[in-house]
Amino acid sequence: MNLLLASILIPVLAAILVIAGFNARRTAIFAAVLNFLLTLVIVSQFKLDGGYQFLLSVPAVPALGIKFSLGVDGLGVAMLFLSTAVTLAAIAIARPPKANVSWFYASLLFISAGAVGAFVSVDAFFYYMFHELALVPTFLLIGIWGSGDRQTAAWKITVYLAFGSFVLLVGLIGLYLSLPVGSRTWDFRELAQAARIGTLAPAPWVYITLFLGFGILVSLFPFHTWAPQAYASAPAPAAMLHAGVLKKFGLYGLLRLVTPIFPPAITEPFNNLLLVLLLGNILYVGLVTISQRKLDLMLGYSSVMHMGYIFLGILSWTTIGLAGAALMLVAHGLSIAALFALSGELRERTGTLKFSELGGLARTMPKFGLLFGFAAMASVGLPGFANFAGELMVFFGGFSAGKPVVGLNNFQIATAIAVWGVVISAVYMLRAYRRVFFGPPLERWKDLPEISTHAKVCVVGLLILLLIFGFAPQLLVKFVLPAIVQP
Amino acid sequence: MIVPYALEISVVCVGIFLLMVDAFLKTDKTTIAWTGVVVLLAIFGLTFALGPMPKGVIPEAFYVLDPTALFFKRFLLLATVLTLILSIDYSPVYQKFVPAAVPQAGLGEFFTLPVFACAGMMFMVSANDFIMIFVALELVTITFYVLVASMRKNQGSLEAGVKYLILGALSTGFLVYGITWLYGITGYTSLDGIQSVLPRVPEQYQPSVLFGLGLVLVALGFKVAAVPFQFWVPDVYQGAPTPVTAYLSVASKAAGFVVLLRVLEPFVTTPTFQVKVFGILTILAAVTLILGNLAAMSQQNLKRLLAYSSIAHAGYLLVAVASLSAPGAKVAIGFYLGGYLLMTFLAFLVLLNVAKVSGGDDIRDFNGLGKRSPVLALALLISMLSLAGLPFTIGFLGKFFIFEAALASGQYVLVVLGAITVACGFYYYLKVVMAMYWQPPAPSATNIQVSPFGQFLIALLVLAIIIFGIFPQPILGALTHL
Amino acid sequence: MLIDFLPILLHVVVAVGFATVVLVLNIALGRAGKRTKIKDTAYECGVIPEPGPQPRFSVKFYLVAMLFILFDIEVVFMYPWAVVYRDYIAQHGMLIFWSMLSFVIILLFGYAYAVKKGALEWGR
Repeated sequence: MNLLLASILIPVLAAILVIAGFNARRTAIFAAVLNFLLTLVIVSQFKLDGGYQFLLSVPAVPALGIKFSLGVDGLGVAMLFLSTAVTLAAIAIARPPKANVSWFYASLLFISAGAVGAFVSVDAFFYYMFHELALVPTFLLIGIWGSGDRQTAAWKITVYLAFGSFVLLVGLIGLYLSLPVGSRTWDFRELAQAARIGTLAPAPWVYITLFLGFGILVSLFPFHTWAPQAYASAPAPAAMLHAGVLKKFGLYGLLRLVTPIFPPAITEPFNNLLLVLLLGNILYVGLVTISQRKLDLMLGYSSVMHMGYIFLGILSWTTIGLAGAALMLVAHGLSIAALFALSGELRERTGTLKFSELGGLARTMPKFGLLFGFAAMASVGLPGFANFAGELMVFFGGFSAGKPVVGLNNFQIATAIAVWGVVISAVYMLRAYRRVFFGPPLERWKDLPEISTHAKVCVVGLLILLLIFGFAPQLLVKFVLPAIVQP
Repeated sequence: MIVPYALEISVVCVGIFLLMVDAFLKTDKTTIAWTGVVVLLAIFGLTFALGPMPKGVIPEAFYVLDPTALFFKRFLLLATVLTLILSIDYSPVYQKFVPAAVPQAGLGEFFTLPVFACAGMMFMVSANDFIMIFVALELVTITFYVLVASMRKNQGSLEAGVKYLILGALSTGFLVYGITWLYGITGYTSLDGIQSVLPRVPEQYQPSVLFGLGLVLVALGFKVAAVPFQFWVPDVYQGAPTPVTAYLSVASKAAGFVVLLRVLEPFVTTPTFQVKVFGILTILAAVTLILGNLAAMSQQNLKRLLAYSSIAHAGYLLVAVASLSAPGAKVAIGFYLGGYLLMTFLAFLVLLNVAKVSGGDDIRDFNGLGKRSPVLALALLISMLSLAGLPFTIGFLGKFFIFEAALASGQYVLVVLGAITVACGFYYYLKVVMAMYWQPPAPSATNIQVSPFGQFLIALLVLAIIIFGIFPQPILGALTHL
Repeated sequence: MLIDFLPILLHVVVAVGFATVVLVLNIALGRAGKRTKIKDTAYECGVIPEPGPQPRFSVKFYLVAMLFILFDIEVVFMYPWAVVYRDYIAQHGMLIFWSMLSFVIILLFGYAYAVKKGALEWGR
């Protein structure tokens, strides 16, 4: 059996078994472990210079050239690895809710299946379909087991993302229709090939529709408003999966469908606009993040803010920038998952995440504080963590992008401004850390239990991955690079 | 050689036979329905022995049997079978609202009339002449007048019947008036004849042709529930017996769309009329999309919500009609309606079973359905997701094909509207999902048992929705083979 | 071309105009005096009008009337059929005969149904 198909089917089958009445937690963890091991097998068998591998193709709608085809190249393997790793952490750390346990785990498994399916699809149509699979489980997870104003958050994320998805679908159809009749296809490889030999000549509106669609899904400023509230209200594993993995779908799509396909003649007129928008992500959302008074909202905003760097890397259209963006995809996914996992654990203990009600927790829970510190530093981009390597490459890419002019060109100006984002994220992370873990210990938090072993294992696992990729980014970059650099 | 309309003749004979059984034999009335189900399924099987026939083979010029007609004959037979099955489930409720002079009074007719409507609609999808269209349409609508109003002790049903009768009669008037105009200018009632004359219509008479076509469009817009001819839909759908509502929203709409396609065919292929006709259709599609979706958002009653959603779906279908210049548009319409059949009947099947126990069909009657009956809740979940257009369901592919056709023919405005209204759609369909899974059941609510046959049917529909949502080729093939 | 429709326009104007004029006259002249309840009653030579203005019909009347119309209509079809029958048979064969026969048979089934269901039993 095709390994990629298996990695999609395992969570789906597990979800069906869970609904059918198997022990929810055990089945889900078993499936997640199995899938992670399967990913490791895939990684070990992957040939670095082999292009797309583990191929499988079944025609679905021959009239429209739609095939159910799976396959991964280096970028796909990296995303698959991220998905299964975060899934494992999320499912392992999840606390079974009091009611509807089976639906809880089934929803998580469905999100995971959707993410894995999207990242291993070679066909743009199924790539899109798999992403949508996660929409309703997210709605249910936030709506039923969320906290705070969960219903508003659930509606907002679902309707907003449904809209974004259909904008994206329109863009995808536009791309498809740009091909001459007879050679129309949804295959990533054939699309890129057609763009290379010049038969694919999409109109500018296709570019901007795709960017808008992906932008909404990735919470590009000013379409980011769905994200923070949803992540703040979502139960921790759902936030981990969505912010860590699923949101990467849009950026992955940009790397797959936009950078290899659109010639500079189409993209350049929009560069300034998009630069302004991504600076909105970094500066405006960054400042908004500083002003947050609740840990979960702050994390939600910070995850929106970091999307700006990845956008910058993609927009730079340079090899180093794109590689940095790909590295950041993985790094940010791992670090935000660790942060949401810890904030979820914290909420379980204290019942509140308001800065004003917390303080001095490092005294009562030193290990918890230590882990949170590591995760926060990773997210800020401290050297040694993968985020640092990614951000650095993105900045290099951004600075070398654009046309040479006298003085600084727009890309260089934007990059120079974006670097300040690092300062901003250091400010909000450190402030949050100080508010929550330092300061005078409060009487009411004196007896908080220390972090549990299984949570510790999950978070430490994520952090170790971050450190490995931080000290040896080449491990990841050598996978990603052949996929990004077009021959 | 068998005559091409042997299918319709056999369906009429089945109807008469069932009517006679009802009148002369003292059997249990549900056997009538089951007999109908079995015989109609047999006729459904027969359709596969009958291939589509090219024009010219059939001597009768008023009748065509192209792949579209054949596909929709199967579609209508299936819809009728499902309606009969729903009617059997519904019969206890139905009997509460019918004067019980004798046991099971009125049930025989309730089971037999859909068969006649089926015959009428099967003629409709093959009709190639305005006279034929008119006669077939009347057979269908008159049958529906009776079916809608048949729960005589239920005020809602009576009100629905009167509204449907008056507005239906009005739309029939429009249809006949439009036909006379077209006949007056072109000298033909047959669509082939009109097609041959249209390019030669002198410029001074072109407004008259458009006027006639406009009147016909009004009548057909009434049939397919397009805005601004949708006033009757919510009240009639809510008041009519639930199986009839399902039948009305699926079969009648589908037959209406096929007739619409046939009537438009000569006009959209004639360059002098093309632009104006597409203009009218674009406006119709746009207002139908907007009003159907926006009005659905505030509904609190599931049947009414489905009525507005039926208007909204008519909007998506009209988008495809307005994109007829794209090669895939016709197939998209057929596929969309095929999917609509599956998901609508699934929704009504659940609605009927829940309403039977809860005694109401407001959305709050579905509170906590996830606990009261996981099977029904799952079925309704799938149906709602498919109606909303979520991938891996047939509803998504239907929307996808329609958007593809719309973009291919350059209907950008409609595509933008479509993307916005799809997001609206998510809101109101998920509202039902929310009630089922988020809200606790009412304290008095009991668990709902579904018969094994009902479970089998639900499983069948759910599987069809998902499988055709991934591999739609069987349906697409049936729509295009010749 | 539009000038051809002038007579129709005139017709519409006259029709609408006449109705309007009559209604206006009715309002202007009819409500001249004081209105009382007695004045508004129908005049029946001094006798109090009896019964009310809308007599109730038995619903059976409608049923029978409808059946009458249904079975009456068939004759409308049969007249033109009978007129062209001989010529048609000479030209196209027996199709015209079978068509009408099937129509009559269907009608017969309808009749049997109506009788069996007791639509014609007045006393029931």
